[in-house]
Amino acid sequence: MTPIPWSPRPRPWTGHAGAAGVRRWPDRGPNQEDRHRVLVAEVEGLSKRYGTVQALDGVDVAIEPGCTGLVGSNGAGKSTLIKLLLGLLVPDQGRASVLGHDVAADPLAVRARVGYLPEGACLPEDVTAADFVAFMAQLGGLPPRPARERAAEVCYQVGLDEERYRAVGGFSTGMQQRVKLAVALVHDPSFLLLDEPTDGMDPQGREDMLELIARIRGELGIDVLVSTHLLGDVERVCDRVVMVHGGHVLAQGSIAEVAGTTEPGFGIQLGDNGPEVLAALAAAGLNARPSGRGSGGPMASPPVDEILVQGSSDLVRDVAAERGWPLRRLVPRAPSLEETFLRLQAANAGPAAPAADQPAQATPEAVWGARR
Amino acid sequence: MTELSTTPAGTIYDRGYRHYEGPREGRGRRVRAIAVAGVRRVLGLKRNWKTKVVPWGLLVLAFGPVLAFIGVRVLFAEAADEFFTYAQYLRIVAGLLLLFAATAGPELLCPDRRQNVLALIFTRPVTRSDYLLAKLAALLAVMGLIAIVPLVVLFCGNTLTADSAATYLGDHLDDLGKILIAGSVLTVFYSVTALAAASLTDRRAAATAGYLGVFLGSSALANILFFTAQFDGKRWVAFLSLSGLPGRFVDGLFGAGFDPGTLAEQARFTGPGYLAGMAAVAAVAAAVLIWRVLRLRP
Repeated sequence: MTPIPWSPRPRPWTGHAGAAGVRRWPDRGPNQEDRHRVLVAEVEGLSKRYGTVQALDGVDVAIEPGCTGLVGSNGAGKSTLIKLLLGLLVPDQGRASVLGHDVAADPLAVRARVGYLPEGACLPEDVTAADFVAFMAQLGGLPPRPARERAAEVCYQVGLDEERYRAVGGFSTGMQQRVKLAVALVHDPSFLLLDEPTDGMDPQGREDMLELIARIRGELGIDVLVSTHLLGDVERVCDRVVMVHGGHVLAQGSIAEVAGTTEPGFGIQLGDNGPEVLAALAAAGLNARPSGRGSGGPMASPPVDEILVQGSSDLVRDVAAERGWPLRRLVPRAPSLEETFLRLQAANAGPAAPAADQPAQATPEAVWGARR
Repeated sequence: MTELSTTPAGTIYDRGYRHYEGPREGRGRRVRAIAVAGVRRVLGLKRNWKTKVVPWGLLVLAFGPVLAFIGVRVLFAEAADEFFTYAQYLRIVAGLLLLFAATAGPELLCPDRRQNVLALIFTRPVTRSDYLLAKLAALLAVMGLIAIVPLVVLFCGNTLTADSAATYLGDHLDDLGKILIAGSVLTVFYSVTALAAASLTDRRAAATAGYLGVFLGSSALANILFFTAQFDGKRWVAFLSLSGLPGRFVDGLFGAGFDPGTLAEQARFTGPGYLAGMAAVAAVAAAVLIWRVLRLRP
């Protein structure tokens, strides 16, 4: 589908007969450049140190087209990675490329095609949203008149109607996040970097923001990288995830791959001796691990309340019968992203943590192998 | 009875998001956008009335006497002939420029850092050099408006209200050149020093107070040292007076002579000497400004 040229004047709606005034974002099919693009961003051996703190330690990340979640706890290196992708920081080691441009060699070309929603307050208080978004559009290269018109359009799309003529200083946190999203979108970027987009928002505002992000990817065809520590948000809107912790990449891949849900799994309660049960299941060739919902938390010492298993339920039955353990519960259950993250984080912090130079691709084997 | 129309009377417009396929401009547009936004900010345009009080008040003080003087000349002709000389008016303007620079410089730089707006600006294809250039251009434009335009208006008024405009223009053309030179020098001097002061803090009030304090305090210190202390080469103390340099340069340029008994008169330096002093101060301020802005981190 040919991209619809943006026009300063409203065009007659030629779509289906829906409710008048509905906010409809036309699909954007891949253009010639997109079709040949394999990766939106690529990072190889990237390291960054702040004084004595190693923020990133030789990370390799591949961001594929689509919506990718960048998750990690506070201080994990998420914002540092984003700033390195934007060329705002100079890496100590390694290289990064975004949309085919080497970040170190041509940071301005990268920034011309990338939209960024930073974490925290960053808006001028005594300027109206419309004026500021138009100003930022001009910084993206748009001439003044199209910049004003496009600012009005984008403000409307992110849910700022008449409010856009008010000074930003009087806005709620949710509205300020919308202004920041409008700023990120107004110059029509090909790749959006959203740093904690739902930070400080109330539940309804958070829902709205997640819906907006989903529409940006789904209807506009803009690739998105969402940095957050809210894994539920990532599960809602992303199709891929990169998990970082302590400057290392714990796992990356599609959410199904990382969470280990590419094959059916189930949760069981079997006997009282967690480690013994886990060992017996592993000996039977089953991928089994604590769910992380037990009283002791992820990778906890016994008792283990629930064990997640991937493989044949018949094998579980056979193991239980051989040992004489009561099979108290067996239900279909996939591990959540949060459980996976906590387990990988704990594994990374333990003595069996992978060395920094080991690849951390999240094939199911790699994820489940962390337990072994 | 009214009949319903069978043809559609209205049109449904799609206000949906569309990708921008229009022209994209280069570095010049981005610099200009920041500069224009800076001018608006300094003058309080598109902001609440409180932000307009100081800049527009100073503009009224800069233009008001000139317009009033020209009005008097039109009404009473020769009666107001010696009301103002260009040097006198430039000395008044120098004071206004000091006040304007003290408020406008911090207004341009401090809020961007304090409100973390740089986190957005520098994620566009804008370099720190672009940012600095634009901010400097904005301040130079507004300061030039105060330093040069009133004097040019005064010159035009004098020319048009003279008995013979051609004769006046021929006799005083060098004054026009001096007005442009003096106005430009004062504009650059105050703009660079004010931005340098503003680059040292993200608090507007602290930058304004610090700037005025250094300029006025240095002048007081220079006078105290000159008239109370005894040491060799104390005439060089005249260059310590930052707020005195522009006025002495203007007096030297127009050949007006220094007031008797003052530090300037007793130090026996000439206009070019004070110009060199201003250049040295501006160079140091520019170095500080560049160093600070290039180190800005969003």
